[in-house]
Amino acid sequence: MNPSFKLLLVLIIALEVSFTRHLTINLVLVAVAIIYLLTKRIRPRLFGWLFLMPLFPAIAVFITIAWFSPGHDYFYAWVLFSRIYVYVFTGAAITQTTSPLELTRSLEQNLHLPSKFAYGTLAAVNLIPRIKMAVKTIRAAGQMRGINLSWWSPMLYFKAILHAITWSDQLAQAMESHGYVEDRARTSVHQIALTARDWSILIISIILIQIITFALP
Amino acid sequence: MAKKNNKFHLRDIILLALVGIIFGVIYWAAAFMYNALTIVFTPLKLPMMGNDLTMGLWCMAGPMAGFMLKKPGAPFLGEFLGAAGEALIGDQWGAANLISGAVQGVASELGFTFTGYKHYDWLGAVSTTITTTIVTFAWDWFRNGYNKFGFKNVYYFSGRLLSMFFFCGVLVMLIERLLERSHVMKREEFND
Repeated sequence: MNPSFKLLLVLIIALEVSFTRHLTINLVLVAVAIIYLLTKRIRPRLFGWLFLMPLFPAIAVFITIAWFSPGHDYFYAWVLFSRIYVYVFTGAAITQTTSPLELTRSLEQNLHLPSKFAYGTLAAVNLIPRIKMAVKTIRAAGQMRGINLSWWSPMLYFKAILHAITWSDQLAQAMESHGYVEDRARTSVHQIALTARDWSILIISIILIQIITFALP
Repeated sequence: MAKKNNKFHLRDIILLALVGIIFGVIYWAAAFMYNALTIVFTPLKLPMMGNDLTMGLWCMAGPMAGFMLKKPGAPFLGEFLGAAGEALIGDQWGAANLISGAVQGVASELGFTFTGYKHYDWLGAVSTTITTTIVTFAWDWFRNGYNKFGFKNVYYFSGRLLSMFFFCGVLVMLIERLLERSHVMKREEFND
């Protein structure tokens, strides 16, 4: 499926489950997302991680509603519990099957997102390993001088922002020296197709979700 | 002084996305806080307190971006692009992250809108603290079931306001002061 449309569908799902309280649709959506991920041959370890990672916040929400709220509404507690898993598994259905580059190209070509936003963000995303390194280095450098830069220390953020300023300068220059001009029409070597099939999957999925949400208990 | 250009250029966009992602990366160093606070507050019958007390950390990128670029739209973009970046690398919260990023972005943007984009000082910081608290709380009202908490919302709301004030107000102002003193944001390419 077209990456932008996949994102659009998941966003619509996330918004809709945020504003409805319906257990059936949540369970159906989680099941469909899991089946989809299975057909894409996702590593089993990832499933474990996807299940465990949100467990703590999900349990916190559950016990708050079920035990500590005036109504002791167990049904609503399960709705909120499963809602978190809807977010996580439908989100994984995009991120585990689509690369950032594909998604960026699709957003630019199919949804006509201005290229400076698309590639600017992608450029920053590609720096993430270096960002992590830099934060570690800054903390290590501080420790060598006997200064502990914890996560609430302004100095840690300040030094990381200095890196960001340098990198954003260098990246923008690098892109411009390779012929990138913002707000100029672009041609693309890698075309991302947007077919009638994508449209029908999107529309049929949305209709099915409405039917399950409003027709089933 | 030349008229300030409020357009976003490639360099600004990369910078805002980077700042958003950096704040996300540092947040993960403190992610255990959420669990620790939840464990501490559950016996006090306030299990969601961890969510409220750490909320300020999530929302720091927006006001920071506003203070750095001093342009309308910067707080929104800083918060949203950071969330988009985290979603792109496969952050487990996925697309929901994009939506909360947009909500938090609008929330901190509003604080600067209400002061006419003229107060990049304590007034702006307090204003963005208040709008971010109210808007994100309203969002959690629907999304995380806060409408069911009844009287306890007084505690949750105060906890969140406190967290926002500390992270989005005090901490952001301290970082801004360091940036101001170093003159790194004074170069014309950022203020053209």
